[in-house]
Amino acid sequence: MSKRENFWKNVDWITIGLYLVLVLYGWLSIYSASGSSENSPLFDFSQRYGKQLLWIGMALFLAFIILLLDAKFFSSFAYVFYFLIMFGLIAVLLFGKTVAGSRSWFQLGGFALQPAEFAKFATALALAKYLSKLQTDMRAFKTRMTAVAIIVLPAMLILLQNDTGSALVYVAFILVLYREGLPGWILVIGLLLGLLFTITIKFGELYVAIGLVAIAVLFFALSRGLRRQWKLWLTGFLFSLLFVSMVDYAFQHVLEQHQRIRIQVMLGIKEDPHGAGYNVNQAKIAIGSGGLTGKGYRKGMLTHNHFVPEQSTDFIFCTVGEERGFLGSAALILFFLALLLRIIFLAERQRSPFSRIYGYGVASILFFHFTVNLAMTIGLFPVVGIPLPFFSYGGSSLWAFTILLFIFVKQDANRMNVLY
Amino acid sequence: MVLPNSKKVILSRVYLVYFGMLVFALMIIGKMFYIRYKEGPALLAKAQKQEIKVFSLKADRGNILSARDNLLATSVPEFEIRMDVANNHISNELFNSKVDSLSLQLASIFPERSAAYYERILKHARAKKNRYLLIHRRVSYVQLKQLRTFPIFRRGKNRGGLIVIQKTTRRLPFGQLAARTIGYENKKEHLYVGLEGAYSHVLTGIDGKQIRRKINGNQWIPIHDDNEIMPQNGKDIVTTLDMNLQDVAENALLKQMINHEAEMGCAVLMQVKTGDIKAIANLRYDKKSGFYSESYNMAIGEKYEPGSTFKLASVISGLEDHKFKLSDTVSVKKGYVVYYGRTLHDAHVIGNGMITIRQAFEHSSNVGISKVIQKAYKDNPLKFIAHLYAMDLNKPLGLKIAGEAAPNIKSPKNKKYWYRTSLPWMSVGYGLEITPLQLLTFYNAVANNGVEVKPRFVTAVVNGGQIVKKFGVQVRNPQIAPLSVIQKVQSLLVGVVLQGTAQNLKNKHFQIAGKTGTAKISVGGKYIPGAYNASFVGYFPADDPQYSCIVVINKPKQGYYGSGVAAPVFKEIADKVYATSLALHVKPQQIAENNTVPLAVNATWYPDLKKIYKDFGVKTSGGPLAETWTVTGDKKGKVVFYSKTFAKNLVPNVKGMTAKDAVYLLENMGIATDVQGRGVVYSQSLKPGMPLRKGQKIIIRLTNL
Repeated sequence: MSKRENFWKNVDWITIGLYLVLVLYGWLSIYSASGSSENSPLFDFSQRYGKQLLWIGMALFLAFIILLLDAKFFSSFAYVFYFLIMFGLIAVLLFGKTVAGSRSWFQLGGFALQPAEFAKFATALALAKYLSKLQTDMRAFKTRMTAVAIIVLPAMLILLQNDTGSALVYVAFILVLYREGLPGWILVIGLLLGLLFTITIKFGELYVAIGLVAIAVLFFALSRGLRRQWKLWLTGFLFSLLFVSMVDYAFQHVLEQHQRIRIQVMLGIKEDPHGAGYNVNQAKIAIGSGGLTGKGYRKGMLTHNHFVPEQSTDFIFCTVGEERGFLGSAALILFFLALLLRIIFLAERQRSPFSRIYGYGVASILFFHFTVNLAMTIGLFPVVGIPLPFFSYGGSSLWAFTILLFIFVKQDANRMNVLY
Repeated sequence: MVLPNSKKVILSRVYLVYFGMLVFALMIIGKMFYIRYKEGPALLAKAQKQEIKVFSLKADRGNILSARDNLLATSVPEFEIRMDVANNHISNELFNSKVDSLSLQLASIFPERSAAYYERILKHARAKKNRYLLIHRRVSYVQLKQLRTFPIFRRGKNRGGLIVIQKTTRRLPFGQLAARTIGYENKKEHLYVGLEGAYSHVLTGIDGKQIRRKINGNQWIPIHDDNEIMPQNGKDIVTTLDMNLQDVAENALLKQMINHEAEMGCAVLMQVKTGDIKAIANLRYDKKSGFYSESYNMAIGEKYEPGSTFKLASVISGLEDHKFKLSDTVSVKKGYVVYYGRTLHDAHVIGNGMITIRQAFEHSSNVGISKVIQKAYKDNPLKFIAHLYAMDLNKPLGLKIAGEAAPNIKSPKNKKYWYRTSLPWMSVGYGLEITPLQLLTFYNAVANNGVEVKPRFVTAVVNGGQIVKKFGVQVRNPQIAPLSVIQKVQSLLVGVVLQGTAQNLKNKHFQIAGKTGTAKISVGGKYIPGAYNASFVGYFPADDPQYSCIVVINKPKQGYYGSGVAAPVFKEIADKVYATSLALHVKPQQIAENNTVPLAVNATWYPDLKKIYKDFGVKTSGGPLAETWTVTGDKKGKVVFYSKTFAKNLVPNVKGMTAKDAVYLLENMGIATDVQGRGVVYSQSLKPGMPLRKGQKIIIRLTNL
């Protein structure tokens, strides 16, 4: 058996298959959301579905190239990629084009490129490279700080572009750090703070403070272990109270108006069916009216009449919901879940830490995108404009996710050649 | 790499990650389930009354243009004005202090109602808290602009309660002129009349689509997306109509119909070579209003028994079959003839009773024409009818305009309707029916040396100034009869005017050829006493026919002869055409042959006059040298220029001057000039020699020489 044949045999066809299913499903939805008539030609490049077909073709070509490259290419040049893209992020701040309030696009002749999309795989590569070095100790404070810096740098640059959604994606890397040894309590504290923040906004500072006190008294009375470590718990309790008292200030002064409204709408504090809540409202109507099996392909009334803005990009999921119904949407979620679990499974079987960490990076990013996108579409999360991977319209995001995934597929296919 | 934890810890973390992802996925599925089954019904109800609507963007309807690019029909915006009198932002104080001035101003632009009326309805509406008071329905854009400056209204929609509803209406800038032929379209009632109806598919544009979102109250803002469809406006059509000629035709017809208290009438002018309809007037008396109006397209839709004008077809048949020569004689002595017990009359006995067929035609003898036809075709009437059919007299013209009546010319084959008397009566235009336009088309073919062209109403379709489609001349029949026969009957039609029934059309400028018709009107097979269709159909100039024309006047009183009732209308139209078509009468050599040199007795602009004399080779001498005013005199056969000056501070005498010269002179002296009429000045409102004040106004009236 030659090495080449061996290689194609080692490629994980399940991952590639899931990738192809999602891309195709996505394209069909875009075709429905932007096709204007029954007989629109498929290759009408003035239309979104036509362009997307072009992007898909080029993405497949990119994937093929990545599979042909040497597996060590990416680990060797990880930092180079990272810094090149960071320069790109700085350059776009200076020379970029502003679209919908975000200065995050390079206009290259006929099409626009969004460097923030490509920063994700570069960050994953750099993080994997750094953490996989033999001398790196996750328990060391310095290591943690360096890792966090690698993640935060692109996030800050993207935040400067006023693209909050894309910046938020970098939160996902916590999952990687956790797998590599970040203590679990940091994750727990993070989740708890998020929860506190949410309920404080929903119910107001006073009620939450009273609730906290009540819980503290209750636990103190009932749990003996708690009494033993009372200093730690008291600190936690006081910190919580302080946090709660600051939530309102942060909410009013740090966040911007549209972000505040989006959060309020999500929590049901505010009705804004014409403004911020409009998209979600329409998306819910689209999904809700889809029924169990949907209205049928290209039959969606709201989809076809473009009632949901951004329907072929960030809100593509409601096209599926309306036309394919509950079953079609559930299938989509299961495909994604299968892909994510498969990636983690593959990551765990890697011999090289670089590949494993990178695999977790891939899974984290896809997971974050997938969860947040769907959650915002159905009103579980405030609206942040991030695309559904492989699914949403847009060349930059499709290419970036394809590169992200196929670097990992390449690493995985090459795992037998890695000496432990 | 230094392993941080034991293998067991790592494994638990991996499972936790798996678990976390599963939980999130389940949460999403759960929420979707919730949306679907819990919120679903409410959401569906919401979807029904969407805050989003698809708005139709109306496409403008195309214009109908005359041959000279005048607008005959066009779409204009029109506004309905209402007022939210109970608007919260209009305080009592404001309303009470401004209501009288608002009423006054309203009455000033809508003078059909008084200021008191407006004040009353405004106060009443205020008391009743009327939020949708109708102020005026058909308001033009100019009026709307004025309205917006009125008290209270000038505060705008939200604070002044002014409600403007835009509509589009179709306007015919020429009013009644050719109104029925221009037509209209009423989609609701499926009425497609005239050219508007016939070319509806061309004129109608394609409406666009735009999705709009409700923002508040009743305000909708467009959502921009790729699939917004812009409206495509309709295309224009260029007609053959000439509104100057139409004006003459309509007025001449109207005048004559009023004179004769006629019920209905039409006049159609057609260009011989092309079939272009230059004018088509249709008037009908409306008993309710007591006026004549363009309410029915008689020329196209009304078939009638033509009477004598149909004799042309009979004579062509006989000549073509060599049944007789024009010089053959026939006896009309008794003034009537009896066929199978039915009597056919002449209006009066012609000549000494023995006349030629030429005379029978020119004097329109029913007896003479029916006798020769009866003699020729009695045994084979089918042959006669075949001739009529061969000349397309039995076929409709196939116009795009709806409502054309099909001619009715029966055949001996149809035994049920064919009688022995049919042939003689048909030969003089009874017992058959045809529309005025069909008959005109036949006469036009004779004028066109036998080539029958189809009447043309539209020459081109224009889109944004670009011609997208042209309609050529359509030949219906390349030769309706041999040229020799056509030439013979052409001479008969000239004879009708020179020595026949239409001698009142004789004039020295140009020769008219044609035929009078005075046909009794029958209802249910019985002729009504005293009811006639008076008609004249023909063409001019006879030596080189350019235009054909038909005039039919239905049920005239005080005279009923085609020559007396219809022919004058024909003449007026022909005169106008003649006067306005230079090519018809002014031949360059005619001027050269005229030996007398006209002199300018009134003040004339010197350079102009000098050029005219020079162009005609007239020798001149003397005169002012600079650009100034001059008069001329005759000195030993030579034209001499004399300079003419005007006192600076006195009103000049401009009588006899051309409009151009008079206006130039007056305006230069600082007098605002209002010109009325055409030709040269015959009166002026300020007396010559009066002291002149700058900015004074003068009216000068012009007349044709």
